[in-house]
Parts: sequence; structure tokens; C-alpha cells
Amino acid sequence: MSLIAHGLVGRSDLPIPEWLFGWGAAMVLVVSFVALALLWPQPKLQREHWRPLPGGLGRPLASRAVELICGALGVFLLGMVIWSGLRGTQSPTANFAPTFIYVIFWLGLVAVSVLFGDVFRAFNPWRAVGRACAWLAPTVSRADLPKPLEYPQRLGNWPAVAGIFAFAVMELVVSDGDEPHNLAVATMVYSAATFIAMALYGVEAWIERGEALSVYFNLFSRLSPFETRDHVVGLRRPLSGLAALKPVAGTVPLLAVIIGSVTFDGAAEGPLWTGIAPDIMNFFDDLGLSAQRAFEVTFLVGLTATILLIHGFYRLGTIGARSVGGGFSALQLARAFVHTLVPIALAYVAAHYFTLLLFQGQAFWALISDPLGNGSDLFGTADRQVDYAVIGANATWYWQVAFVVGGHVLALTLAHDRALALYEDTKLAVRSQYWMLAVMVGFTSLALWLLSQANG
Amino acid sequence: MTLFAHAGHWLTSVAYFIPVLVFLIWLGVTQLRERRRRPRGRGD
Repeated sequence: MSLIAHGLVGRSDLPIPEWLFGWGAAMVLVVSFVALALLWPQPKLQREHWRPLPGGLGRPLASRAVELICGALGVFLLGMVIWSGLRGTQSPTANFAPTFIYVIFWLGLVAVSVLFGDVFRAFNPWRAVGRACAWLAPTVSRADLPKPLEYPQRLGNWPAVAGIFAFAVMELVVSDGDEPHNLAVATMVYSAATFIAMALYGVEAWIERGEALSVYFNLFSRLSPFETRDHVVGLRRPLSGLAALKPVAGTVPLLAVIIGSVTFDGAAEGPLWTGIAPDIMNFFDDLGLSAQRAFEVTFLVGLTATILLIHGFYRLGTIGARSVGGGFSALQLARAFVHTLVPIALAYVAAHYFTLLLFQGQAFWALISDPLGNGSDLFGTADRQVDYAVIGANATWYWQVAFVVGGHVLALTLAHDRALALYEDTKLAVRSQYWMLAVMVGFTSLALWLLSQANG
Repeated sequence: MTLFAHAGHWLTSVAYFIPVLVFLIWLGVTQLRERRRRPRGRGD
């Protein structure tokens, strides 16, 4: 995103070189692996364990009234994004739409989902409108609506893969992807596609599998101890939400897109990419593309290659795990362990965009008072300034390392538990995890290297 | 020459991936040992 730089100041006076943090992180993973092998002999996360919130709090929190209010707020914010994008100033930092979409919504809601569960489901404006239409249409037309088509199994999460990839392209490839007008148009196109798909396959079926943003936030919400069932908010065992994830066609590529796009965003700021990108750009230039198109195609190639690399790296790990025996195919193992990629994706997102959320997130208060950037002050907060002293460079680095290590330890825990459930022989289960450990160490080293490149 | 002039940069980058390399070598050696042991075990 050209709008805002992720790292604002360089680090200084770290007690050890940055690369040694990478070695330390790898050691933590190996020690965690040994500890899990010795102290976690039975699967603990595979069984459902959900109970309503104590004190009867669970029912009012997920009541129809609350859902209605949240849905209305979601629709209002969607309208505000489109309105400010179309009618407001075209300066990305002075308009409400870019900061809301790329920072508050895309990053802030990840944090909210991890803490409080699938909050987006309640606020999802497309779901709210779809449900309202499904409720209103039979009353208005005085006839039953035709039954929706059955959602094709082979589609799985593939529409969500396409949606998240499109979002990444808008954010990282399109040279004016942070222009408010373009964002408003993209939002309208996405809304239209979502309404058509919901009309075809039904609101809930599309939201559950096809609607990219719902699937995206739902994945992160599975890390939360909170889950809503039958209009009651309850508590579940930590990490059991991810263990309960039912992978379908496209789930592995979806996580590869999430991790790959963050990886590319980090790599694009480093010398490796800035060294080779001009050569690729020259190649497309020679093919007759304009400078802007050559730039965009180069970044599209980089983004796609990074996603394929991440996908290939994970698949290599599962091919290795297959070689220890057990009778599972590499594809079966790839799907069985795909939930372990969610905390890794969170680690990547949190570590890479931590400062962006912390700094640019503060701009929300000024922008909500002046969404069009025309000098209005609706709530008296238009002159709020961003406080860049809220965290120092070294503290940022420590937090980033903590996110990366923590995310990968969680991933190891999930993989270990799944292996115990999958393999009859405990020794075989542990041996299969040598390969997953290799994947985790690889992802950890990559994440820390990227951060050092981006912020150095 | 540029390669050597920038050695400090790329050596630091390589340093990040040494744990992965060490781990993969260890994994390879373990797998080889396993494979050698298997046929011997069958013959016993």
C-alpha cells in the first residue's frame, strides 16, 4: 500500500544482531516440539467442548435485536465507504474510504475476530441486506421465493480464494489501488457479485464458503475462545475452533494467498525485490506495455510467484510427512493440517501490519469526523493527530518477534494434536511432525527476515 | 565485485536461514538412517 509506510523508524541498540533472533526463534520451536512430544501424549483439541457464557449473557449478546443493530451499522459503514469514495477528496490519506478499508476493516477486524470471535458475521452488510431481502421479498411479492441452487462441492472455498487474491491485487499491485474513487467502485462491484451469488446459492451457503471476507475473518475467529451457536454466545476450549475447521476444496490455496500476499508485501520493500523488479519491468516494457502497466504486471508476477512458493513450501512439508508412512496421501495430509496455517497467517499479518494498525488506525477518529476530507467536523474529532510516539522501534521489533514465535508455537501445537488423532502409532505421529517442524522453522525464518528487510 | 561489496548484506540474509538449513540436513540424515535400518530390520 503506497498510502502509508509500515515501518517508520529504524531500530537501534538491540542487544544482539537481528538474525540471532531468528536462531532463537528456531530454538524455541524445537524446544516446544520436544516438550509437546513428551508432555502431550493424547489429542485434546479434536473434541467439541462448548458451553454458553455464564450468567445467561450468551443469549442477549447474540439476540435478533443485537444482530439487527450490528447489521444496520455494517450497511451504514458500507454506504459511507462508497459515498466518501465517490464524493470525497481523492487524497488517500484525507478520505475515509482507504484508511477504513485497508486499516480499520482489513487489519483491525482481524484483531477483533481473534479476541471476540466471528464478529464480522453480525456486522456483514451483504449478509444483512441478503437476509432482509429474503425476509421482505415473499411479503412484497405474496409468493414464496424459488429455492436457491445447491452450492457446488467442487467450488469449495475457491470463490473466497479469488476474492482475497483480488483484494491483494488491489492493495499491492494496482498502482492507484488506494485512490478513494477506485475503492468505491471496487466495493460496488464486489457488493453486486456478492448479491448475485447469494441470490443463486442462498445467503448462508455463500457467506459460509464463498464470500471472501466472511471466510477470511471466520478463519481468524477460530482462534478466539468465543463462538456463537444457535443465537447463543459461548466459550470453547482455546484452539479447538481451528481443530474443528472442515477443509474443503480451495482452503489450502486460500491460506497460501493470505500468507503469500503478506510475504510479498514485506519482500517488495526489501533489496531482493527492488533489485530484480526493474529487470522484469524492462522485459514487459519491451513487450510494448506502458510504464504503469509494466509496473502492475511485474508486481502481479511477484505476488503470484510468492503465493505459489508459499503453497509449494507447505505442500513439500506434507509430501515429507507422507514419506514416514501411515497410508495418507499428500493431499489428505495437506487438508488435515491446513488449520495449522491460520496462526501462521495471523503471525504474519500481526507482525507485518502491527505498526500500520497502531499508527494509521488512530487516523480513524479524524476521518470519521471529516469522511470526505472537505473540512467538516461532525463529531469534533477532525483535528485529532496521529501519535507516532505510541511505540518505539525496538519495542516494535520485540512485539513482531513475539507474534512470529507465538503464532508458530500455536501452529506446532495444533499440528501435534492433529497428528496424534490421525496416526495410530504415537511414534509415527511425532516422526511425521519433523516435517511440519521444518515448515514452521522455515516460515519463522522467512517472517523475521522479511521484517528485518522491511524495517531495517 | 558487487557480489563481494554487498557481502555484508547477503551474508546477514543467509544467516536467517541457517537454522532451516541445519534442520533440513538433520532431517535428511535421519531419513537416510531410517531407510537403511528398515531393510536390515526386515532381514533379522
